[in-house]
This record gives sequence, structure tokens and C-alpha cells, in this order.
Amino acid sequence: MSLLRLAATNLRRNLLRSLLTIAGVSVAVVTFLMLRTVIWAWNAAADEAVPDRVVTRHKVTFIMTLPHRYLDDIRQTAGVREATAANWFGGKEPNHPNEFFQALAVDPETWFTVYPEMVIPEEDLADWKTDRQGMITGDVIAGKFGWKKGDTVTLESNIFEGEWQFHVSGFYTPTKRSVDRNTVMFHWAYFNEQSPGKEQVGWIISRTQGDPNEVGRRIDRMFDERDIQTVSQDEATFQRSWLAGFSAIIYAINIVSVVILLIMMMILGNTVAMGVRERIPEYGVLRAIGFLPRHLVALVVGEAVVLGLLGGLLGLGLAYPIVQEGIGRWLEENVQGFFPYFDISPGNAVLAVLLAIGLAVLASALPALQASRLGVVDALRRVG
Amino acid sequence: MIPLSYNLRSIVVRRTTSAAAVIGIALVVFVLASTLMLSAGIRDTLSRNGGVDSVVVIRKGSDNELSSIIDQNKVGTILSAPGVARSDGDIPIGTGEIAMIVQLAPTGNPLGLTNVQMRGVDPTVLQKIRPRFRIVEGRMMAPGTDEAIVGRAIEGQFEHLAVGDTIEPKKNLPLKVVGTFEDGGSSLESELWADIDTTRAAFGRQGIVSSVRARLDDPSSFAAFEMTVESDKNLGLEAMTETEWSDKQSQFLSIFVTALGVIISFFFAIGAIIGAMITMYASIANRQQEIGTLRAIGFRRRHVLLSFILESVLLALTGGVLGCLAALGMSFVKFSILNFVTFSQMVFKFHATPSVFGVALVFTVGMGVLGGLLPAMRAARMSPVEAMRN
Repeated sequence: MSLLRLAATNLRRNLLRSLLTIAGVSVAVVTFLMLRTVIWAWNAAADEAVPDRVVTRHKVTFIMTLPHRYLDDIRQTAGVREATAANWFGGKEPNHPNEFFQALAVDPETWFTVYPEMVIPEEDLADWKTDRQGMITGDVIAGKFGWKKGDTVTLESNIFEGEWQFHVSGFYTPTKRSVDRNTVMFHWAYFNEQSPGKEQVGWIISRTQGDPNEVGRRIDRMFDERDIQTVSQDEATFQRSWLAGFSAIIYAINIVSVVILLIMMMILGNTVAMGVRERIPEYGVLRAIGFLPRHLVALVVGEAVVLGLLGGLLGLGLAYPIVQEGIGRWLEENVQGFFPYFDISPGNAVLAVLLAIGLAVLASALPALQASRLGVVDALRRVG
Repeated sequence: MIPLSYNLRSIVVRRTTSAAAVIGIALVVFVLASTLMLSAGIRDTLSRNGGVDSVVVIRKGSDNELSSIIDQNKVGTILSAPGVARSDGDIPIGTGEIAMIVQLAPTGNPLGLTNVQMRGVDPTVLQKIRPRFRIVEGRMMAPGTDEAIVGRAIEGQFEHLAVGDTIEPKKNLPLKVVGTFEDGGSSLESELWADIDTTRAAFGRQGIVSSVRARLDDPSSFAAFEMTVESDKNLGLEAMTETEWSDKQSQFLSIFVTALGVIISFFFAIGAIIGAMITMYASIANRQQEIGTLRAIGFRRRHVLLSFILESVLLALTGGVLGCLAALGMSFVKFSILNFVTFSQMVFKFHATPSVFGVALVFTVGMGVLGGLLPAMRAARMSPVEAMRN
């Protein structure tokens, strides 16, 4: 008990140094949490993917389309409960050409059955299904453009020519935070009338029974001998294959996370080593009055652990306002496509504090060893 | 002024703590310099795509070649515009090209599909439009055949993408890889090229091109060329020099990498400054008698202040130089990343430039000054008598 008190009192002896060390550790923890959260948020969409959903697209390239009849063929496939299709429209709002949003031409009868995480009031859904030019929009993008139910809206496309008129039939609300709130959906039939490539869909999404990968393979086998081959992936794999393009960045971020931990260890180790060097005479006295080498180790390591713990907790406390509320909210509003939500996960929070403590132990190992190996007489000789 | 050798010796005497501060700063500078190098590499690679004397024409409003569609019939009209260079037979030097994306499996990961840019080109005019184009392995593809050549940067990075291999982007339409090309280090080296007619047939794109490329007889002819091509509203086209085009393609990626690097370096720097401060405070606490003596023999407060700030800067610069040297080692690393604008994978290098290291070293000096300022002020404020009594 008295040893613990001694460890705590030691921290107050050079208060400035202790405070600087705690500040250094906390900055490292904030940075570490920021980097971990980038990776975590990047994977969030894939982690929240619905396991029974299978995406089927053109085997060669995502920019080419599939014949619309493939949708009916897939609906007949064993293991497919429901299927729907979408086309990428490349929508632009003429007055806000730099504002990015997803605009999709979809099958109104089945779309929201396949995507139940988008909820629409019954009445709006009915209105939408009966209006060929109707569209359902996300609340965030509708708010940005000031769209209200019943408005007539003109959109342009960076792929298809002309001006396209739509009526706002209603808004969807997401049941999960990972759902994009900047999407616009309208009738495939209306799109098909005006677009140059007739009777084409961009990709087909099915809800399946049983093993989704087996159903996906069945779909691909069916089209293997046809004019256009397909590749089917479950939703999580589909999302991850998109993320794979950024694997080099994720790898770099992981390396940088390790570097920040090394810097943290450097700061902690430096402080502990300085403390030990200054207190050699005291260690001599402690040893002389009967404390054993392991007590000295406990003293040094204990001091480091307190520093690591305080720095870790302070860093965690700072990370919530800085990383989650500051950077995170900004990213969610501006690049929702990449980061549907940007929260510090409980796992990462615990990991950061544990690492701060663990690295404190590691950083103090060498100084602690030095302290424990001191000859009593040698150490005492330095007492003035 | 207190001689610098005093500070140098002090740093050497306190090796362990000095080393801790130096390594901390070296790590920060390494990360900063590496991101700046990558960002410079992205700009460098994409700026190597042609120059001011070659032009790209795409459909008006398209952000990339993929979404651009131009009728084959319009190619002749575009190439007859004023300013286009002509060969001996008075034939305009230019061609339509078709851009596609194919999904290929990276080497060692047959299930992971990655997007690779494919381009249908006219082998007969290739060299005239891209003077730096050169076959480095194998041979050039023969016009009108199912042969393909692959850019040096992605050769071997994907399954079946080495010379002698056959890839099958579409069933029963195999492409034989017969050569590897380079193009002065440009982003085209991340592409797969095949004959334009073969490509169009394979993808059902007969009668259209994605872009038209042409050489100008002189860079100053661009204005006239642009006027002619863009003034015809029926054509609905947009003309740019290759330089302007590649800027548009690289802007977003380069800003993204720089922003990420700067944010990370900012937080890192705070950590390193704190580390330097701890070292400097300790160093000053141990040298009270020395400081007292210096004051007693006539050095003024400002001399002491300057001396300790310089010591901190020296400490930081040692770390900074080490960090820059480590970052230089990154020049040998290839970095493959998805370009958001073209939707395809591109390979970049870390590009070392004098300005990268200039910025990194200025940043280092800044860290040194900030880390040393408060401790130096404490040293300067000490009363000589008090200090010597300790």
C-alpha cells in the first residue's frame, strides 16, 4: 500500500513532466482512435450488409448493363425469394452541379421489399407506384435541394442526354445508420422509355434462401452459355471488392497507427527513464531498509502505468468531441458515400486505453530492470 | 552568442533522452514526407499523360472517359478542325479511342475482382499521338487482331496479365497478351490496351468512341481548335489539352492523400513537440549550474534563450534529416490505389522532390522551436545566483 502511495507521490514531484507526458499520451491516443475509426467506418457498410442479399452484375465490367429479361430469369431460380433491379442514372441537379447523390432507376414493385431498411409511409408508396414520373428521395438530399412532396423536379444526367422531369412522391427514412440518405429512386419504366439502350438493367439484387453463395453460383451458371455472363456476389463481398481498391491506403493507415504507438512509447519511456535516473539514491535507501528488487520494479512500472492510464483516459475523453463529433460529423455530411457513419466503436475505445497501459508497461521495462539491478552500496554512495 | 558546440556536446552527453526525442521527431517527419511524396507522385504520374500539344475531346459534361460517348461519324469532323497536325500524306494525326473497365483478379487473390482500365486504340497511329510510348517486352499488337499489350505498372499484378498469357474479358473472346509497354511513367502504364475494333466488337460498342485524341501543330493552336470543336452545339463536345485533362483526373485523389497526410502529421507533430519539451525541460533542470555560470560570466538572458531554442532545433533537425532519409527509401515502393474519377486501379510511386523535403524540414524547424520555446524561457528567467547555488 505504501508503495502505491509512493508511486503516486513520485508523479507529483515533477508535476510539469508528468502532465506533459500525460498530454503526449493523450494526443497519441486521439490520433490512434482517429485512424482506427477511419478503417472501422470504411468497413461499416460491408459489416452491416444483409447476408441473404446477392448482387448480380455484368461479368466483364460494371459499366455495362444486363438484359431486363435476366431479372425474370433470376426470379425463377431456385433459392431466390425476390429480386429487383436498378440502373445507375448519374443524376445531377442543374443548379447544384457539384452536389453528389445517387440516382437510381428501379423496379417500384419490388425495390422496397428487397431493401426493407428504407421505410416509406404506405400512402407515399402507393402514390409513387401509380405515378410513372414519381420519385422517392432521401431526406438529407431533399433538404439540401429544398424538395417537398408534390414538387416537380428537373434532373440531368452525366450519362443520358436531356432534362428529366420527376414528381416528388415521398421520402424514405432509414432504419439503420449505414443506409445512405442521399439516394433518389424513380421508375425503371420511365427511364427505359427515354434511355438509348432499351430493356437494360444495371444490376440485379436478390433476396435468397439457403446459402447465398450457392444461389449466386446457380445464377452465374444459368447465364454462362448466354450472350452476356454475370458475376454474383453476396452483399458483403460486393462491398469489400469495392473497398479492395483502397487496400493500399488501409495498409498505410495501419502502419501509421503503429508508428503513433511507437511515438507514445518513446515519450513514456523517456519520462520513466529520467525519473529512475534521478531517484537512484532513493532506491538505495529503499533497498537498504528491506525492500526487494521486485518492489522497485513494481514502483517504476506502477508509476508508468498510472501515466499511461491517465493519458489513455484523457485521450479517450478528448477523442469523442474531436474525432466523433468534430471530424466524424463533418465526414458524414460531406462524404457519406465513403463514411456512412463515423463513430468511435466501444472496441476501439477499450483497445486504445489498454494499449496505452500495455505500452507503458513495455516502456518502463528497461528502466525498471536497471532500478532493480542497482547494488545497494553503489546507489547509497550517491546519497549526499 | 553562446557557441553552438556547447549545445552539440550537451545533446551528445544526454544520449538516451536525446535519442528518444530525435526518434520521435524522425517518425513524424517520415510520415509527413512520405505522404507529400505520394501526393507528388500522383500529380507527377498523371501529369505525364501527354502535354500541351496534344488534345482530348470528350462529350460535354462527362467527368471521365467512361461516361463519354462520341459517335464515330463525328471523329472525322473533329480531326478536320484547325490546329490538328498533319502527317506527310496530309492525314490528320489523331484517333478515336474507347475506354472500358474490366474486372480482373489480382495475382494471388483469384476471388477479389479489381477494376482495370482497358483502352481500345488504333495501333497504327499510337506512336504519333503518344511520342513516349514504347514496347519494353514482347512486341506490338498487330492491327485488327485479338492481341493486347499491357502497361508496365500492372504487368504481373493481375492473374493472366503477363506476356504470353491469354485473358478472357468476355467468354469466347480471348485476348492474347503479346507485349508490355511504357509511356514515360504516365498513368497509361496502369492500362490494358487492345485494338479498337476488337474492343468495340467484344463489348458491343460498334460505331462509338469514348474520346478523340489529336496532336496539335503548335500548342498555340489550341484556342482555335477548341473554338471550332465547342462552338458546334450539335456536336456537344468539350476539348482540353492533355495536361488540363490529367489535372482534372488527379485533383481529387491528390487532395485526398494530402489532406489525410496533413491531418495525421498535425496530430503527430503535437506529440513530437511534447516529447521534445520533456527532453528540453529535463535537460535544463540538470544544467542549472551551467546556466548560472553562463549568466555569471556575462551572457545575457536573450543569449540563454536563443541557445536553448537552437539546441532544440538541432535536436529536431537531427530527427528531421533521419526521417527524410527513411522517406527516401519509400521511393522504391509502388502504391496501387483506386482513382475515384476513373473508377480504376492506378499504380503510383512515392516521388521525391526538393520541395517535399523543403516543406518537411521547415516543419521540423517549427517543431524544434515550439518544443524548445517554453523550456528556453524557463532557462532564461533563472536568476544566476539561485541557479548556481543548486
